[in-house]
Amino acid sequence: MGRYGHEFLEFEFRADGRCRYANNSNYRNDSLIRKENTNPLCFSEYCSVYVSPLMMKELKRIIQESEVMKEDDQRWPKKNVVGRQELEIRLGNEHISFETAKIGSLVDVQESDDPEGLRVFYYLVQDLKCLVFSLIGLHFKIKPI
Amino acid sequence: MSESYDIDINTGVDDDDAMMVDEDTRPASVKRKGRGFRSESKDESRDGVRSGDKYDQFESTTDEDAAAGRAQRSVEGWIVLVVGLHEESTEDEITDKFADYGEIKNLHLNLDRRTGFVKGYALVEYETYKEAKNAIDAVNGTKLLGATLHCDFAFIRAPISIASGTDRESRDRGANRNRVGSRRRGRSSSPSRRY
Repeated sequence: MGRYGHEFLEFEFRADGRCRYANNSNYRNDSLIRKENTNPLCFSEYCSVYVSPLMMKELKRIIQESEVMKEDDQRWPKKNVVGRQELEIRLGNEHISFETAKIGSLVDVQESDDPEGLRVFYYLVQDLKCLVFSLIGLHFKIKPI
Repeated sequence: MSESYDIDINTGVDDDDAMMVDEDTRPASVKRKGRGFRSESKDESRDGVRSGDKYDQFESTTDEDAAAGRAQRSVEGWIVLVVGLHEESTEDEITDKFADYGEIKNLHLNLDRRTGFVKGYALVEYETYKEAKNAIDAVNGTKLLGATLHCDFAFIRAPISIASGTDRESRDRGANRNRVGSRRRGRSSSPSRRY
């Protein structure tokens, strides 16, 4: 375990609309955060719900417009002690499974060997997280960290 | 039998985000790209939501089927998804359009992180099914700032096949039981009360 223990944020959309979300943090033990996460309907911040075909279509649009499928993670920073990010997408007959380090800010993007590609990843991940946080927040009324 | 998508837990790795988006399950010849495929470790602890075996058990969804008949209630109401928004749409304009069908309990209008403009979708919450359904029927196909809007419920109930339980799903449920327990099943009957 690192300094901050094992934390993760994960979400998954399947073709049939199933959306799963998990957010785990050692900070859970902290009374302040614990207070915010006492929703009995979503214990342990693990949630599963189905989204409608229109939602899946919108998700697909966001991914396609980002053009992330054209990128490659070969020259992106490798996972490190700070953490890692994984993005896996299957769209049509293309299947990507990218892995890189945590990106703190655009400075990390600029300083990488592939700033254009990493920027696409950086913004897509933010847009996807934004969408998932809205969905989970509205559906379960928990505030994602 | 399945691909391994997860990677080692390095003792030093203390924080990771993972995103999985599975859009299409046609078993065609698939072009693969990315370091994620090269990871060999199978003993990654699956403490998140990602499942190990994927892609072989779901049919593609058809875009046509509307969610109305199988809409799923959320904790405090019904969530309507509207897509096709013009990038310069504002909360006020969307509120104006949707307030005719009931009190809007919540509105999420998310922005594109790169451009700062509207991303193209919004989530609108109503208290009752009827308000949400009326809004969907009335707004779907109309225009705002010249852009055609499409509306539907954001959430649907689990497909019937899940309820009857395939091998995979029962495995899933078993694996998740310590996390979700009976809570998930316990609340599945709530939607009908709100009609």
